[in-house]
Amino acid sequence: MPLSEEMITHVQPLIPALRRYAHAMLRHRDDADDLVQDVLERAIGGWHNRRKGASLRSWLFTILHNLALDRLRRLARRGITAPLDDVSEVHLATPAFQEQGVEARDVLALIALLPADQRSVLLLVAVEDLSYAEAAAVLDVPQGTVMSRLARARERLRRMMEEQAQGRIGKPTLRIVP
Amino acid sequence: MNDGPITEADLQAHVDGRLSPGRAQDVAAWLAAHPQDAARLAAYRAHDDALRQALNPIADEPVPPALDLRLRQPARPGWAVAPALKVAGIAAVALLSGLTGWGLRGWTAPPTVGTAALAREAASSYAVYASDAARPVELAASDRFALDSWFSKRLSRPIRAPDLQQAGLTLIGGRLVATSHGPGGLYLYRDRQGRRIALYVRPMEVDGSDHMKPRLEDGVAGWTWAEKGLGFGVFGTAPGTDLHSTADLVRSQFLQT
Repeated sequence: MPLSEEMITHVQPLIPALRRYAHAMLRHRDDADDLVQDVLERAIGGWHNRRKGASLRSWLFTILHNLALDRLRRLARRGITAPLDDVSEVHLATPAFQEQGVEARDVLALIALLPADQRSVLLLVAVEDLSYAEAAAVLDVPQGTVMSRLARARERLRRMMEEQAQGRIGKPTLRIVP
Repeated sequence: MNDGPITEADLQAHVDGRLSPGRAQDVAAWLAAHPQDAARLAAYRAHDDALRQALNPIADEPVPPALDLRLRQPARPGWAVAPALKVAGIAAVALLSGLTGWGLRGWTAPPTVGTAALAREAASSYAVYASDAARPVELAASDRFALDSWFSKRLSRPIRAPDLQQAGLTLIGGRLVATSHGPGGLYLYRDRQGRRIALYVRPMEVDGSDHMKPRLEDGVAGWTWAEKGLGFGVFGTAPGTDLHSTADLVRSQFLQT
């Protein structure tokens, strides 16, 4: 399948964001890039059949989101529920970003504990900057559902951050023994 | 949903900065009377920031070759058609150059001064550093003050990283780069899609004042200009981004300093 200049011009700039979403959803670097590769193959195959008026970003994120959910379901069936690799420690902490706070690393570990439908809506809106309408299109739900899931995701994350700050979940913390 | 009582959906949209100005005022007034909700929203916003900060490095990485559509592009038919013709063309140019000698030298040699030279430096700095996943900058945005005073000292004039939030650009940080004209300052910014934009600045001996010109150097596109002996280049590789308005924004901020 020959790639048109038009497709390269429009899709190439979106690849970094697709990778970011895939990594955040799967928490496994190689799996995530494999998934993005699948998205690109499908996008190349379906390029001429896509709805011309629709946002290209929503279209690509829809393909990616559905593939990511399939993959997560397959992993769950095989009984793998634990995070596959520690994105926060191994793959994200590059020297230039070491100044990021503890919070940035904790928050990644904690969103992995959110149900996939809440995690995805938070990532699409807060990180990928999709409009509520675009997020609704990607998740194939009404916009009202996007808003309620977003509210639940944020509240749940806030509670987990609080609990972690109090040392009840997450990493083992040092306790001062009297 | 623009009238009536404040809903949870309004509060979420407030966190995302997506309310109409009128509704945003209503929500702000409501929050002033509901400090617990205000604190809850502030926490949401802080967690969103933390999430972006944790995940943006992935989008800052260069696209792996397996995912790079540009690398899949098949050779253009034109390449294979007539290699002999191409060789003939090169020979003809060589012959012409030989005959006209120095006459053509100015036409073929890359520019060494002025904003044309600055464009080359800016584009090659962009190519080297903006694609560097591990350490694109020497000093991060959190050290903005140190970065600005470092540049100001080495470029011998006050330099300040422009605030480009208005153009959707966040400062990543910066580094000093070496040129044949002395040190140059390179600020790197990130757009909302995680793509990098470079602002390059250095003192000019030639073309101390030059109007804004579009530039394209090895696939890196941007704008250069010079003012009061200081040369500027704004460069990026993302197609369709409006670097000209970014350049205007940079220019107006430097004029104020």
